[in-house]
Parts: sequence; C-alpha cells; structure tokens
Amino acid sequence: MAILELKKVQKTFGTGRTKVEAMKETDFEAEKGELIAVIGPSGSGKSTFLTIAGGLQTPTDGEVMINGTALADLKEKKRAALRLKEVGFVLQASNLIPYLNVGQQMQLLDKVKKGNLQKEEAKELYQSLGIDHLIRNFPKDLSGGEKQRVAIAKALYTNPSIILADEPTASLDSDRAFEVMNMLKEITKEKQTATIVVTHDTRLIDDCDKVYKITDGKMELQERVYDTL
Amino acid sequence: MKPKGSEFMFLAWNEIRNNKLRFTLVIGVLVLISYLVFFLSGLANGLEQLNREAVDKWEADGIILTEESDLRLQQSILSKDDFDGSGVDEYTELSQLSAIASNGDKKENVYIFAVDPSSFIMPDVTEGNAFVDEGEVIADDTLKEDGFEIGDELSLSSTDETLEIVGFTDKARFNAAPVLFTDQDTLETLQYGEFAEEDSDAINAFIIRTDNLNNVEADKTLQVIDTETFIENLPGYTEQNLTLTLMIYFLFIISAVVLAIFLYVLTIQKISIFGVMKAQGISSGYLAGSVVAQTFLLSLAGVMIGLFLAVITGLFLPAAVPVAFNYIEMLIYGIILIVVSVIGALISVQTIVRIDPLKAIGG
Repeated sequence: MAILELKKVQKTFGTGRTKVEAMKETDFEAEKGELIAVIGPSGSGKSTFLTIAGGLQTPTDGEVMINGTALADLKEKKRAALRLKEVGFVLQASNLIPYLNVGQQMQLLDKVKKGNLQKEEAKELYQSLGIDHLIRNFPKDLSGGEKQRVAIAKALYTNPSIILADEPTASLDSDRAFEVMNMLKEITKEKQTATIVVTHDTRLIDDCDKVYKITDGKMELQERVYDTL
Repeated sequence: MKPKGSEFMFLAWNEIRNNKLRFTLVIGVLVLISYLVFFLSGLANGLEQLNREAVDKWEADGIILTEESDLRLQQSILSKDDFDGSGVDEYTELSQLSAIASNGDKKENVYIFAVDPSSFIMPDVTEGNAFVDEGEVIADDTLKEDGFEIGDELSLSSTDETLEIVGFTDKARFNAAPVLFTDQDTLETLQYGEFAEEDSDAINAFIIRTDNLNNVEADKTLQVIDTETFIENLPGYTEQNLTLTLMIYFLFIISAVVLAIFLYVLTIQKISIFGVMKAQGISSGYLAGSVVAQTFLLSLAGVMIGLFLAVITGLFLPAAVPVAFNYIEMLIYGIILIVVSVIGALISVQTIVRIDPLKAIGG
C-alpha cells in the first residue's frame, strides 16, 4: 500500500479571469523505501505539491491520503497531529529554532509527541549524520551543511513514515549537496520511509527511484535514461 | 498528548535564557511598573492610616453627629443629654478642637480630643502617664519623632492656655494630624478661657458600640452613621484614595499594554519560526501555551524584583513620607499585575493561531 497517495488532486487560486491553476489534475504515489525527486523551475508548483502532500494546505479537488487516512476528513488540529506523527519535514537550513541548541531542537519534539526515537536510537542517528559532537551547539554556530544535517535529524527524530524535503540542498555547495542526497537515500532504504525531495537541481536526481517533473502545475513521471540501458 | 505547564516552559525558558538582553529589558519595564504600583499602594495605605488611625483605635461601630453637621465632627455641636444610650452596648462622648501646638521649638498642626478617661476610647499609654489634672495631655507618638517630649509645655495658636505632655500613645493620627488626648474640662478651658463652664455638657459626638446600628434610638436632629462612612467623609480622604487607586488601576492597564506590545513585536519577529514549528505539526495550542508561560515568567520576575525594591525603599524612607506597606494588598496587586500581563499576551496568542505554516516553506 502506498504511504502517500494523491488522487486527482488539483489546486486553483482565484476565480474567473484571475484564476490560476497552481496544480493541474495529479495522481501520485509514494511507497515505503522510495526516494522520489520532484523537479521543476521556480514557480512551477513544486511547493504547492509539497504543501498539499504534507497537509499544510487543502486541494481544490481530489484526495490526499497519508497511511490510509484521508486528510480531507480531518480538522486542522488532527491534521497537525498526523503531520507530527507521520511526516518529517526537512526545511531550509535557516529554519532551525535559533534559541535552542541541537539537542534541545529534538527535546522540543519530545515535549509535544510520544514515541520518538529512544536515547540509543537518537545517538545512532546523530552519529550517522555526523552531528553527535554538535549537540550543544546553537544554529548560529553551525555551517550550512551542519544545519541541513540537523534539519534531517529533526525530521527523522519523530520516526515518520514520510519525509518531505523542500530544496534541502539549496544553501549547500556541490559536495555538501551530494552528501545530503546520499544521506537521504541511505535513510530511505534503512528506515523504509517514503522520501520526496523537491529540488530545482537536476544533478541530484541520479540516485532517486522516481523523478517527477512539474511544468506549469502539470506533474509527470519522468522516464529514467539509465532504466532503459 | 496534552503538554503540561512545565513542557510549555521548555520553549519559553530557553528563549529567555538565550536572549538575555532582550528579556532583561522587558523585565526592567515590568520592574518599574510594579515598583510604582507597590509604592503607590504603600503611599495610599500610609495616607489612609494618617487620616483614620485615631478612629480605628476606638474600635467603635458607629458615631452619632447632628443632622446638620454634614458628617463633619467639627460642625456637630450637641449636648450630653441628646442621647441616652438606647439601643447600644456602649457609648461615650467626644469633643474635639484643632490647633497649632508649639513647644517653643517646633510647631505642629494637632487635633485635641477630649475623652472620658474611663471610656473605651481612652487610648493606651505607651510611655509616661495618663492625664489626671487639668492641662495634661497624652500625645500621639509621631510628635515624639518631631522633637516633642514628655514634660513639654505646649502653647496653642487659638488660646493663651498651655498644655503639658504627660504621656504618649501610638497610632493616634486623625485627618493627617497627630491627636492630643485630654479631658473635657481642659478642652472647655482651651475653647472658652475664663468663660468656660465647669462640667459643661457641650460635645461634638457620641461614639457607640453596637451590633446593629438600626437599633440605635436617637433624636431626629441626630444621625447615626457607621465608622467607615464617617472616615470616608473626612475632608479629602475619599478624593485622595480615589486618585491613588485610579493611578494604580491605570498602571495595571499600562502594564498589560506595554507587555502586550513587547510580546507582539517579539511574536512578529518569530512568525517564520512559529510557522516552521506549525508545519512540523507542533500545535498552535503548544506555541500559545509557551507564550503564556513566557509572559508568566517575565511578569513574575518583574513583580518579585519590583516588590523587593519597594520594600527596600520603604526601609530607607524618612518618617515624613507616609508609606505603609500592606503585604497582603501587595500580594494581591502582584497577582493582578501577573494576570493582566498574561491577558496582554493573548494578542500574541491570537497572532500565533493565525500564522499560516505554508509561509514557513514558501508555499
């Protein structure tokens, strides 16, 4: 069963002559252990897709299912709880909470949700992401790459079944960007999460299981060149 | 999972700890406001005591004055025969005169109360002796602080007669002036000199003790009022209290508004952070609880420091400044300050609830 499923989802803004179709009718599925890239130029509808998939906004038409639960049936409070339980967002590096150190960023999640990683598991996660020596550091003391690794750790800390990453490599140099993508791939396979990475950087999609391209709100699955080789 | 109060504190406290300067400024403003509130309440209390101490000392339930006196002791002229004690447990007569008393060195505005030495309004002597002979008085001990002593001969502004201080009593000020207690004959002499009548029956009021003022049977030309009403009608008493109370209430509002503005600005600065947290599934309720917890911590710190500073100031104030702290009242005002501060934070809570997590990820 697909963990994340979008059925005939559409999103329009405005009406009449000002109507904009941000997302044309789209079907999408993500299974456990799949790393999926969603690529497209700026303004193509990538973020609209990500926010609808993560339950941050509701589609104009169609249905979004997370682990078998239709988001349309849930009120905002329940949607937030489902997000906390099932979805790990990896947002841009600057979005870490500036007044909490790395350890406290995770502790905050313990304050609002049960069933997060156990101490040993968390330790392993920090080691695997190479941030175990940064636990007492504040975001201002971290480099761009370190911030992004902390953001990934934060997304994984709640043991989500889906990871939604919004331009996770945007503020990184090439080496760091590849490093982060490799890390996401490893996590996806190891933890059997469905990981969807929204990016405009086509160099990073080689290791992805599926690639979707969005152009003017229309989302299409891309055939992979090496698949045919 | 419903977060507990201590869990709200986590975000609140860590933010305060890591933004010391910013939050010290907020606490600083609250310290100044609460200090002013506590100081004004002490001042209101001190001025109140200054007016009513001598009356409270009677431990009386009511007072009988003439109908036409407009509740002013000085304007009430009646005779000892005007009331026979019907309907009261105890009663006694009171005559009074105001004057400027001087011991040759210092001058002081005083009230002279003529009381029956065997009555319940006769003050306890804390130093020296009670008056026995004509011309002897017991003085309020604030006069002692002003340089008056036992044995001092007092000349008065309105008469050639003199008085001698034979003892002191405590807490005996009336209408912001110390009281001299003496007997009826001495007061008569002060008022009428050589024309004074011996055993005159002219007095100003009857002071009564009773369970029910409605049971008091007095002539139609007299009015029976409770002690509190009598005090409230002392010249300037109510006006002064209302002014200070109004200032305190305004400070509560100012406190709420100032903190609301500070927290609102801080919240606006943190919109993207709150948006990220909401996107991650942290509920508005948790974030709102965190802001309320933060406001509570800030206002508690501000109020505690303000209280401490006010009490310390009180210890070093000269006796001339009528500040008297009522700690229970201060505690209540402190709680009110914290409550109004938290109410002020509700504007920020409303802002947090409205933050769209979409904005956090540029959707």
